[in-house]
Amino acid sequence: MAQFEKEIVQAVLIADNNVWNFKPLSDDNSTALLPLVNVSMLDYALIALNRSGVEEVFVYASLFLQNIRDYIKQGIETYASWSFKMKVQVIGGEGCRCFGDAMRDLDAKALIRGNFILLGADTVTNADLRPVLEQHKRTAKFDKGAAATLVFKQCSNNLRTGNELLIALDNRNDRLHYHQRLRMNQRETRFPIPLDIFLNNSSVALHHNLLDPQIAIGSPSMLSLFSDNFDFQTRDDFIRGLLINEELLDSRIYVALLPPTQYAHKVNNWLSYQLVSRDIINRWAYPLVPDMGVYKLQQEYVFHKDNIYKSHDAHVPKVALRENVVVQTGSHVGTGTVISNSVLGANCRIGKNCELSNVFLMADVTILDGCQLEFCVVGTGATINENCIIKSGAVIGNKCVLPAKTQLAKKLVSAVKPSQEYVLETIGPHAYIISDSATDDPGDSDNEDLLPQQTQCIPKMGDLPSHLQPEDSDYSSSSEEDGSRAPTPLPDDTNIFLSEVVDSLTRGFREKSNPDFLILEINSSRYAYNMSLKEVNFNVVKAVFGMQSIREPANNNVLGAINAAFKQLGTVVSNYIKSPDAMLDCLKALEDVCEENDLVREKISQVVHYLYDKDFVTESAILAWYNQLDDEEHATLKQSLTKLVDWLNQSSEDDDEEDDESE
Amino acid sequence: MTSTEFQAVVLAAGRGSRLPEVLGDAPKCLLPIGPHPLLWYPLTMLQRHNFSEAIVVVLEHQKVEIQQALERTPIKIKVDYATIPYDSDFGTADSLRYIYDRIKSDFLVVSCDIVSNVSLYPLINKFREHDAALALLLFKSGFESDVVLPGPKNKHKPERDIIGIHPDTQRLAFLLAASDCEDTLNIQRHLLKDRGQLNVYGRLLDAHIYVLKKWVINYLHTKENISTFKGEFLPHLIKKQHVKRSAKLQQDTTSELGVNTKPGDNILHYVPTTALNQKITQTSLFNDSLSHVPYHGDAVRCYAIQAPREAIGVRVNSTLSFCALNRKLASIWNDLCGESYPLIALGATVKSTQTKEIIVADNAKLSEKTSLNYSVFGPNCVVNPKNIVSNSILMSNSIVEEGCNIDNCIVGHKAHVKSGSVLKNCLIGPNYVVEEDSKNQSVHLSNADEYMEIDIQ
Repeated sequence: MAQFEKEIVQAVLIADNNVWNFKPLSDDNSTALLPLVNVSMLDYALIALNRSGVEEVFVYASLFLQNIRDYIKQGIETYASWSFKMKVQVIGGEGCRCFGDAMRDLDAKALIRGNFILLGADTVTNADLRPVLEQHKRTAKFDKGAAATLVFKQCSNNLRTGNELLIALDNRNDRLHYHQRLRMNQRETRFPIPLDIFLNNSSVALHHNLLDPQIAIGSPSMLSLFSDNFDFQTRDDFIRGLLINEELLDSRIYVALLPPTQYAHKVNNWLSYQLVSRDIINRWAYPLVPDMGVYKLQQEYVFHKDNIYKSHDAHVPKVALRENVVVQTGSHVGTGTVISNSVLGANCRIGKNCELSNVFLMADVTILDGCQLEFCVVGTGATINENCIIKSGAVIGNKCVLPAKTQLAKKLVSAVKPSQEYVLETIGPHAYIISDSATDDPGDSDNEDLLPQQTQCIPKMGDLPSHLQPEDSDYSSSSEEDGSRAPTPLPDDTNIFLSEVVDSLTRGFREKSNPDFLILEINSSRYAYNMSLKEVNFNVVKAVFGMQSIREPANNNVLGAINAAFKQLGTVVSNYIKSPDAMLDCLKALEDVCEENDLVREKISQVVHYLYDKDFVTESAILAWYNQLDDEEHATLKQSLTKLVDWLNQSSEDDDEEDDESE
Repeated sequence: MTSTEFQAVVLAAGRGSRLPEVLGDAPKCLLPIGPHPLLWYPLTMLQRHNFSEAIVVVLEHQKVEIQQALERTPIKIKVDYATIPYDSDFGTADSLRYIYDRIKSDFLVVSCDIVSNVSLYPLINKFREHDAALALLLFKSGFESDVVLPGPKNKHKPERDIIGIHPDTQRLAFLLAASDCEDTLNIQRHLLKDRGQLNVYGRLLDAHIYVLKKWVINYLHTKENISTFKGEFLPHLIKKQHVKRSAKLQQDTTSELGVNTKPGDNILHYVPTTALNQKITQTSLFNDSLSHVPYHGDAVRCYAIQAPREAIGVRVNSTLSFCALNRKLASIWNDLCGESYPLIALGATVKSTQTKEIIVADNAKLSEKTSLNYSVFGPNCVVNPKNIVSNSILMSNSIVEEGCNIDNCIVGHKAHVKSGSVLKNCLIGPNYVVEEDSKNQSVHLSNADEYMEIDIQ
């Protein structure tokens, strides 16, 4: 019977990804319905599937389920371009909290009959997945344990959006042997890869320049593997679990790389939102470009030179649009306003003499005269009053009203006041700055496969480094690496010790654990690596400043971060920094920290003053340290400390005088 | 002295510590491989590539012996001996440093234990094409995989290298011995970044054929703490590829000596560059990529070439490979050396009629009524009638009396197998006498004690 039935191509589309990353716009609606160049992300994913010949799609949603249901229904009714030859069903997963839950639910519902395409609603791609599906079927013929074929795209990864990967592939059969997600903020200097991979396989290819667009071809066994292993929460868990327990689970993962001409990217945060918007406008994702009528089968825009897409009934003075701009229907732009690299939703009204660059406006946004906007997102129905300056990754929530002359950078603004302590500042009756730290409450809020908690803040938009710039800076950094690399090819004990102390302190800081335990931990590391007391003093201070919260402080408020750290860990530090010699070690460590951390360098005198205030170091130690600083090498450092030292001298003279008087 | 583009250095001062069973006290480079000593093979390879002379590095006390042995072989290349003192700590890098002043141009370093028919021209051309500091040759391993090592069973653990190559450019990213690594391999980011794919091979065999720039030996000369070439110097050199010429450093080189930097320390002091040369590389279309700075701005460049699949390449550095090569030699002889060299030496007497793929050296006497298959018979060895010998190696001056059956064995120098013995998978040490009618399987028969006595005599 079964062989007469034609095998239909099925796909699973996971909506509701990255909820936390798209705050505050994800508060009111599903992230899948967030417009990207005026077309919702769900549409891009559905079109991609339609183009790959998929016949049946299951959209899996849990948050804002009704919105998605309505949207799909409306799409089918209005003959959205994906609705032809493709059946779309929405599956509601109440109480489904992660990707793994969704897969388990799908397994229980037994809707998937064969190999299927698995896609996130946040993927934008013009790739034809049919060859990949065929490849997967071929692999599955040879290897009954082939659980999935992951699809990756080569890219340059100078800019990290959280989708970059390092993988090790077997050159003969494209089997995945190693999978590591590259960290967002930190640039790894080395990648530890298990040696066995190279010993057991004659030829292994390491790919460092890959992007994970969250496309995969799954075998039916993939779903049951999720059911069997209830600890698999995300797709990464699944990959990791399979790689570790290869023999136990008897399953293997394969990889397919997209050809260079095909585009694929995942929109998982505002930074990638900006990138993908740029790529769509620049037509890299062709035919998924605005003037092709991606969603509706009608011409919405007129395509002008310099990648300007303008709706017929938008009122825009000719000079206003510089390049790479999309203007939806009904928008009105005042005279003297200049717009570049931006997207304007429907019915936006922009006043006179504004400057907009890299700005993404949803529908019905009103911007009054004289505003300057740069690298920001403005939600539906928001109003920005006169002469506001908004830049560097700020996100204005739906229906916010910003008072005139507001200046914002890197802030998230919500119109409704959230209940708890998330509010950092109130700037108006319909504008509250909310916390952007993702560590506060990640478990509750990220619904789908978010990265493991490596990021502290939501990645924001910003000036994209041009292609050449990072290379230059990289060369210099790598030459520095060279200097340090030559004598120490392997991490020596000191470095291992330092990193262990950093780990201990970071954990202690996060979990607010008892300082005594931390001291015990550090001491045991100390004996394990045979550190002298001097080295311990030095490294403990260095480690405190090496914690992520200080290296990349929220809002660049390094002093606040240091204060918080020392409040928690002060006991640990003062346990080591007791004698005058130790204080000198402590200050020497600061010297090192200055070189590595720009923020600390700027504020060095305040930092030293803080340590002095809190009695970590004495005045004589500071003076002794200051005097032995090399004039040339630490010229700037010395300069920034001069004031503090003068003040200390002053006060000590006062003290002396007082002493004299008392005598 | 004519100036040539490349000089050739053959390192033949190895002590053969990994083949004690078959070596005895003979120099490693005189191990019999078929009809010729081991050293003959790399020399012939060089000769085939039109080298007219080669520097052969030998141990001082073995020079005469080696010289005599080579004179008996049909070889045209002019051999220039360089002797190094006998000292157990003297590594290959030490040897090269010792003959430092004899190297006047770019040079090839060839190990004496490589037996191969590969063409070196692709290697040399790659070296020329990219003005490389180093180019090396890789074979696929596995030549020995189907051979059972005679003697007691022990786990043979081949030494393996982990080699990283960028497939787009064939640049060598790293080369390390697997035994030197811990459980994880730390791969530095700069090896991966902007360089696309990196292929890591765990089963390739370093042929120990290196093409090197002249300045490399100058650099090596100053690195006196480096003792071995393969183990220490190569990884060092490969790592130094990524050293950047910093602005500060350039100042130092122009303005005499810097105060802080020692000129001997930095490899870039040795790389000859002129402003013109740099400009040429920058503007030339002939480089490895157009989208970034040529060679990523690396002044030191190391390349690895993989020998074609069908090429034969074996390193005779263990008893197993020695055994495997000798056994298979007859079948690959034509590929390896061409038909110009006979497999059965003119001075040998072969009366046996049942032979298959055998190699016989000078003055060997193989009597009638014997069945001899897939075996090698060294000089002056004697096989009496009524014997069956297969898959075995009989080294020089060994004697097999009547009625023996020898299968998969190595019979050492001057060893004596008395009549009626049945030996399978055995290693017979030098000078050992196998008693009459003894039956042995998978044992190592040697008389280390007696051997000492004989030595004293």
